[in-house]
Amino acid sequence: MMSDLLLQAAASGVVTGCVYALVALSLVIVYKSTDVVNFAGGELLMLGGYIGLLALVYFELSYPLMFVVVIVAMYAVGALFERIPLTTVRGQRYSKNAEADLVPLVVATIGLGYLLKGAVRVVPYTEEVRRLPPLLEGAPIFIGDVILLKQDIAIIAVTVVVMIALTGFFGWTRTGKALRATSQNPRAAALIGIPVKSMRMIAWGLAAGLAGIAGILLSPKLLMTPDMGNVVMLAFAAAIIGGFSSLVGCVVGGIILGVLQNFVGILISPQAMAVTPFVVIMLILVLRPQGLFGELAFKKV
Amino acid sequence: MDWLKGVKASLIGAAAALAIASPGVAADPGLTDTEITIGLFGPLSGPLVGFGLDPVNAARMWYQEANKKGGIHGRKIKLVIEDDKCTANDVVTVVKKLVTVDNVFMLHGGSCTAALTAAQEYINREKVPYSMLNAAGDNAVIPPLKYTFGAFHGTQRVYAAALAGYAIKELKVKRAAIIVHDDDYGNANLATTRAILEAAKVEVVAAERIPANITDVTAPLLKIRAARPDVILSGAYPAPAVLIAQKYGEYGMTSIPLMQAVQGIPTPAVFARNVGNPAALTNFYHGWSFTDVGDEAIKKKYADIYKSHYPDREAGPFMITGLPSAMAVVEALEKAGRNLTRESFVAAMESLDFKPEILAGPLQFGKDRRDGMRSGFVVKYDGKTQKMMPGVYTWNGKDGL
Repeated sequence: MMSDLLLQAAASGVVTGCVYALVALSLVIVYKSTDVVNFAGGELLMLGGYIGLLALVYFELSYPLMFVVVIVAMYAVGALFERIPLTTVRGQRYSKNAEADLVPLVVATIGLGYLLKGAVRVVPYTEEVRRLPPLLEGAPIFIGDVILLKQDIAIIAVTVVVMIALTGFFGWTRTGKALRATSQNPRAAALIGIPVKSMRMIAWGLAAGLAGIAGILLSPKLLMTPDMGNVVMLAFAAAIIGGFSSLVGCVVGGIILGVLQNFVGILISPQAMAVTPFVVIMLILVLRPQGLFGELAFKKV
Repeated sequence: MDWLKGVKASLIGAAAALAIASPGVAADPGLTDTEITIGLFGPLSGPLVGFGLDPVNAARMWYQEANKKGGIHGRKIKLVIEDDKCTANDVVTVVKKLVTVDNVFMLHGGSCTAALTAAQEYINREKVPYSMLNAAGDNAVIPPLKYTFGAFHGTQRVYAAALAGYAIKELKVKRAAIIVHDDDYGNANLATTRAILEAAKVEVVAAERIPANITDVTAPLLKIRAARPDVILSGAYPAPAVLIAQKYGEYGMTSIPLMQAVQGIPTPAVFARNVGNPAALTNFYHGWSFTDVGDEAIKKKYADIYKSHYPDREAGPFMITGLPSAMAVVEALEKAGRNLTRESFVAAMESLDFKPEILAGPLQFGKDRRDGMRSGFVVKYDGKTQKMMPGVYTWNGKDGL
């Protein structure tokens, strides 16, 4: 029956949408705090997956410990990238226009993406397609006619936990509040004593950590290759749907996109699935550029 | 004067001798009295190295074996080996280098059809005989090009025919679902599979075409499940093939046989490991065209020869795919005789008709045929052991078995 088919497609779409949402959150955190669009988000996800595989299979760590190792390692990668190349690039003046000066920073993120992909590719272990063992294994769970794997439930649970943790972090901690202040007005934040450089570093570390978590969750579902970071386009679409400045919007955008893709695959054709995110990006940019949850930004002149 | 007559006669004689000798002077490149130079290439590095390293080694091994036996009509085979990384740019560069710098007699190589087709126009313009290594894409050999010979272990049409033939004959299916990629490979597979099924009055209840870079196969698998087929015939590449098998297991579809064309499962153990769910492989079959699966003696024989040439390297399952093309080249060189030219070699390849013991069927070419092997069979694989299933299925070169 078509309704069963669509229900199963929706359930599966929610799961993949959660992973898109985590990568989208990583992109939005960087954008909000540094104004930089991070084109290396997909490669950070890929690196997180491979570090997880290394920790789990080679060092035989437990899954919870592997999570910690990935988050710490990815935090270090993100923070170091901000502290060394980005800070150096930001220190140069390329034009009289501050917005034009963002271009080299964006280019630096593209460079980081290629660097990470190249670095992973030279490791002999990555020549073969790999698969990360799932967080939870076992017989699938039936909700009516809808089948959900335990791994799918783990993905939804981790996304919810991450969202709650981020809300708490940005709402109730001093660092979180300082990050928000930095994202709203870095000059004013610096004037009241917030270490803006450190905040940027924390934002990058946090974003890379989130991408790493997404990598761990996605790797059992999607085979691991150095090119698996291509899913970042779906995360961009999720962020644009939700509004590039809204954390909640990312999650809603990711889920909408995941479900929409499956519906398009069933009702139109699987070939049309690849085009769906780009059509959605175009539609949102034309009809509601600020996204579903974003706000229009005005600049006084 | 007499001495002038003598000089004149001598000059005429010398000119005549030169004229007679000129075919020898203008011998084809890469050919001397003692050597035939062959340009051998394949992916020896990069992400697709698995498709090429062992097969290139295997081809080299076969040429060395021929040299050990004294060479071919008194000539030893000399190889110039290059890495094409399976990318179109590298294939074109390597081919041009082998032809213009190394002056090879012929080319032998290529593990990826899409990449090597980029060099086809140049190869045929330069009239250099070219034998594909283990690439098996249909569009490299159909329609035929005079100097290109390939598909030494079957094209996509051959594998599709074997799977569909087995499903009809042995599994007695009445309703079939097909899942292929939306490219030339997929088109060839879909057309052949559909034609064979429909000729046997099997209803095609779902035909899903998916992009090669698909990352989520939920939608096509749900559509297939809803269509309630008796069999699923897949022509997917390695990564999507794993995703399909995973989802097929997750959705509890294992009562329906899943049959996968060979390109999706280059290394069975890696495939099983990546699927990660042994239950998904309880009713799983794949196409194959080498007898090493069913005949342990053959498997051991060639693995041992390989070991004797490369003591430090264990032969992977794809090693054997590099042998038929080398066997065909050696056979054609023997057939062309001592007065070898590029044209006589092409003529000898065209008239080849022999069955290497490692193949399911004979290697045959013809004036209008450049795909060498048209027979295949089916293997049942449970994630641990491969079992050759009964029957050899031969594609008729048109639209059926």
